[in-house]
Amino acid sequence: MVKILKFDEVELGDDLPTETPDVSMARVTNFCHSAKHVFERFIDHEAAKKEGFPAAIVPGIMSQGLLAAMIHRWAPNSSIQSIDTVFRGSLLVDSHITMTGAVTDIDDSTMSVELDLAITAEDGRTGVIGTAKLQFSA
Amino acid sequence: MDQANSAQNLASVRDDWVGVEFDWATFEMNTDDMIAWAEACGETDPRFTDAEHPDFQAHPGFTTHCMSGRVLPENFPQIGGGFGIDGGKKVDVHAPIRPGDTLNATTTIADIFDKTGRSGTMIFIVQRMEFRNDRSELVSTVDWKMIKKAD
Repeated sequence: MVKILKFDEVELGDDLPTETPDVSMARVTNFCHSAKHVFERFIDHEAAKKEGFPAAIVPGIMSQGLLAAMIHRWAPNSSIQSIDTVFRGSLLVDSHITMTGAVTDIDDSTMSVELDLAITAEDGRTGVIGTAKLQFSA
Repeated sequence: MDQANSAQNLASVRDDWVGVEFDWATFEMNTDDMIAWAEACGETDPRFTDAEHPDFQAHPGFTTHCMSGRVLPENFPQIGGGFGIDGGKKVDVHAPIRPGDTLNATTTIADIFDKTGRSGTMIFIVQRMEFRNDRSELVSTVDWKMIKKAD
């Protein structure tokens, strides 16, 4: 797996390694408890269907956390300064989702990097898009 | 309401409400929740999963779960239809959040605007929560975009 350990190793246009995060019911339920965000549409498929969803859905704030973890694996010596995510569509619990990212800007003067981010649902829909800004230390 | 009146109404709501502070809350940061959150997100960096790490801190988006008591200010006008949907969140990390920190959050209306696309005109109401630690240092800002369909 590609890891960026120093600012000088980042190139404009670099892709982050694609990841398929765990959004199993057990994992999402753990997240909901840690977030005090326990709603049936996140942790019960049948209850979510009654609300009109195809199945239980991944909380938007968890999808943002999944992207942050992906960034930390790619650049473990960086710090996220900001992360901005737009929730475009549902990501289903117990499904296969894919996270991607790419470097869109590099600022040598501040040793910071900007990324575009996305999460794609199992059926190919874009569930989340976003951006992040990272700071590297000298 | 025709489009011109609707735009005028939205401009008026924006003038009256953007910048209004309407909720205040306090949140205690504890180690177990910080680690559980990071691990559930698949985090592997020990800065966020190991309480013994010298730089142990909350995951960047940890404050997004700190819900304000009110979604909108008292007497906020009814604009758009329905209750609104969660359009996304932006987090600015200003400083690390450590276990044991008590965060004081203030909530304001940061912006109100509309956009027109294939689904018609949508109204965006941006609620901003600013979190300060015990030393009054700004540690996190969370912007939450509530989206409502225009009438």
